[in-house]
Amino acid sequence: MSEFDEIARPKDGDERITYRGPLKRLLISPEIGALIGAVVVWAFFWGNGDKFGTAGSTANFLDVAAPLGIMAVAVSLLMIGGEFDLSAGVMTGASGVTIALMAKHFTDGGISLWVCIPAAFLLAGCVGWWNGFLVNKTGLPSFIVTLGSFFVIKGSNLVFSKRINSLVNVSGVDKAHGYKFFKAFLGGENQFGDAKFRDVIFIVGGILFGVLLIVGFIEQSLLHAEKTSSSAMLVAAIGAAGAIAGVLVLHRTDSIKGNVVAGVVGLSGSALAIVAYCRARFETTQPIVGAFPIEARTYIGLGLLGTAIASLAGQLFDRGEENVVLQWMPSWLRLVVAVAAGAFPLVFFVRGLMRGDADRRAQTWLLVVLRLPIICLVSLIGIVSLFQLTTVQAVRAVLITVAGTGAATCFYRARSIASKKSTKWFINLGVLMSAAFVVVAFAVRADSSAPRFRGGIFTALLVGATLVFATTFIEASQQKRTMADLNADRLGKRFVSIGIVLGFIALATRLLFSDGVFRMSVFWWLFFTAVGSFVLTKTKYGNWIFAVGGNKDAARATGVPADKVKTALFMATSLLGAFVGAMILMRLNSVQAQQGDGQEFEYIIAAVVGGNLMTGGYGSVIGASLGALIMAVSKNGIPAAQWNQDGRFIFLGAVLLVAVLVNNFIRKKANEQR
Amino acid sequence: MSASVPLLELQNIGKYFGNVKALENVSTTVKAGEVTCVLGDNGAGKSTFIKIISGLHKPSTGKYLFEGHEVSFESPREARSLGIATVYQDLAMAPLMSVWRNFFLGSEPLRRFGPFNLLDAKFARATAKEEMSKLGIDVRDIDQPVGTLSGGERQSVAIARAVYFGARVLILDEPTSALGVRQSDLVLGYVRAAAARNLGVILITHNPQHALPVGDRFLILNRGQSVGHFEKQDLTYERLIELMSGRVHAA
Repeated sequence: MSEFDEIARPKDGDERITYRGPLKRLLISPEIGALIGAVVVWAFFWGNGDKFGTAGSTANFLDVAAPLGIMAVAVSLLMIGGEFDLSAGVMTGASGVTIALMAKHFTDGGISLWVCIPAAFLLAGCVGWWNGFLVNKTGLPSFIVTLGSFFVIKGSNLVFSKRINSLVNVSGVDKAHGYKFFKAFLGGENQFGDAKFRDVIFIVGGILFGVLLIVGFIEQSLLHAEKTSSSAMLVAAIGAAGAIAGVLVLHRTDSIKGNVVAGVVGLSGSALAIVAYCRARFETTQPIVGAFPIEARTYIGLGLLGTAIASLAGQLFDRGEENVVLQWMPSWLRLVVAVAAGAFPLVFFVRGLMRGDADRRAQTWLLVVLRLPIICLVSLIGIVSLFQLTTVQAVRAVLITVAGTGAATCFYRARSIASKKSTKWFINLGVLMSAAFVVVAFAVRADSSAPRFRGGIFTALLVGATLVFATTFIEASQQKRTMADLNADRLGKRFVSIGIVLGFIALATRLLFSDGVFRMSVFWWLFFTAVGSFVLTKTKYGNWIFAVGGNKDAARATGVPADKVKTALFMATSLLGAFVGAMILMRLNSVQAQQGDGQEFEYIIAAVVGGNLMTGGYGSVIGASLGALIMAVSKNGIPAAQWNQDGRFIFLGAVLLVAVLVNNFIRKKANEQR
Repeated sequence: MSASVPLLELQNIGKYFGNVKALENVSTTVKAGEVTCVLGDNGAGKSTFIKIISGLHKPSTGKYLFEGHEVSFESPREARSLGIATVYQDLAMAPLMSVWRNFFLGSEPLRRFGPFNLLDAKFARATAKEEMSKLGIDVRDIDQPVGTLSGGERQSVAIARAVYFGARVLILDEPTSALGVRQSDLVLGYVRAAAARNLGVILITHNPQHALPVGDRFLILNRGQSVGHFEKQDLTYERLIELMSGRVHAA
């Protein structure tokens, strides 16, 4: 089949492939799914309960999640290198047990932690080396080899702690020499009284992140005009001033009216600034004159329906009747409703799939898969809410989310149909879409007694409305670039990457100092993520890791020391396991011999959710960290939303499945056309 | 290097595995800027022959001359250090890695940044693109995974990589075997382009239609024996087919 494709394709020139816009390029990066997932899950739990996401609880669960995050970094590197380590989990326990036993019982009186901790690292290094050595020498799957190590270590942990300490729990390390230092170094908590700078950095960084991202994307996707129009630039400056003023006032006022005024000024200012900036710097296009696109009618209708449902959901379900609303509902009906909630968004994609030629169908498939995480999360949340929690709050949240997402999708489709027929209707539909956002925003705000849900959704919807409004005008009147333009691309990419760095700093500051306490564990998490990602993407060793996982023979043939790379990865995993073990021990001052048992699967899940390919050769460390964050959020958010704690397993399983499906699709895409 | 001394010269090479004669009495020369084709049906001893040239096997009998000096390789690495590069059928590439990462795999360009040695991605991208365009290969996007390239394009990446890393003799193991007509033509074009850059190219194939247009010299093997060694002008397509099928022996 590929033969024919080749012949049909023109021979030379870059027209063989259309210019890939910045958004698409971003979408094919491995960590994007995890990023979207993390934001969606976070936002959902944040809105769904009043306990999740307060400064204190965030700090606490980040602290607890840090071990998972650190291990996910190591495991993802190993996975990219094509191997697994099932002994990674018990390694954390082994290191804790070793340190604790040595600190208490070594040569009767116990010994300084300055000896115990290096000894634990040495032991871990040996285990890692052994795993690597066996895998390399025998060529057996690492699943089997490390499964063996897993049982041996698990057994040793129990045997030695019982034998030497006569308990499976070893505690009282704090009397050992050097405890103070290691506690501060590994698991310390440093109080910072005033956390005002944290908020300032977070807000300023967040805004700069948004602005740079928008400017960077515009730069990469539009065609530069010959001359910059200074009058339009002036308008853009006025808009920007309005936006800044709006934000500043918003930050200072508390009254509802003041907020509304400032919000309107700020948001319309931003929209104006974006649109005018594009007018000033980029080429405009001829409007298409045409009639109302009849095909879009159904979508508009469905969009309006969705908007209505989302707006009314709040009124229909009163918050006052906690926990009882669904009791009249027989369980089969709950099931039906849950399935319906899941099926709703899916139906549209299936419909899109049924019609059109092969090309369109392929495109729909791509869309389905790209949005699959979101679709599945929405359906999953619907299902889980209805089974687990029968409070009004969840029903409302689900209704608003599902109907709102459905409406947005419908409007978007209607708008894209109109874009081929008539510019006027394109703009009309875009404005309608953004108006629908505003309506839902105010409907949510007006009714809800949950200040956070109200505030969060309100803000998000208004920002969304502004963006839709701005992009509608840009897409209607600016020429899109179809060819690569190296200079503009470089500039745009630079903007985007600076923006991402600033956003990361802002977020890291917010997380690190969440309740005015600087936690070393969270710092280490960020640190190891940064180091892992740096090694993987910026050094030759990263190249080797990719190659060893992608095609070991090829790597060897080109002179990569494949065995050494694998052994080093195994050792890194074990050493980080030892680090995490020491960290937990210092924090809790005691260790259970079974600690970490079974955790290895969570590490692997985190890595897979983060876009790492199970078969190796592809993936991202940042993704794995985000995967760990998703798991931590669900672990903390489900009880905070007063759902059944065990529901998190359903959640985990579903998230894992979705992640693997998406991964599989990516690999197929990359491998096809052989 | 004077033009008269061939880059490679193999004289009466033979290879025995125990009592199996895999190859007997095979001779050929490879000159810079020329393409030497090694032809033969399956089991003719082609792969044994290239394994000897690339240093994987030692010949049991005969002489192996590199630039007029006799050499004996202990490992493929020694051959590679002299500039004898082999592009195997599996191409030694990781399909999920980008073109430029594959291009520089194992010999990554580095750039100093403070205390770190960073991967010089900018240089790698630019160089990979430039080197490939020198062979007339226009890769669409240097960042796309190698797995998304067509067979011929992947072959071309491997050739460009070998050329860039200082290959003087390029051994191509059945580069066209899995390709369609058009793709094969492209690859044969790259083979000529590589020869035009003054490399000695050894093209192993069982397809006379591919060998004839690009080859300057032809070594035909059958059942481990050389059935003929020809210059281009002495050979016709019909004769080549006859020789390969083993029906006629060369005079």
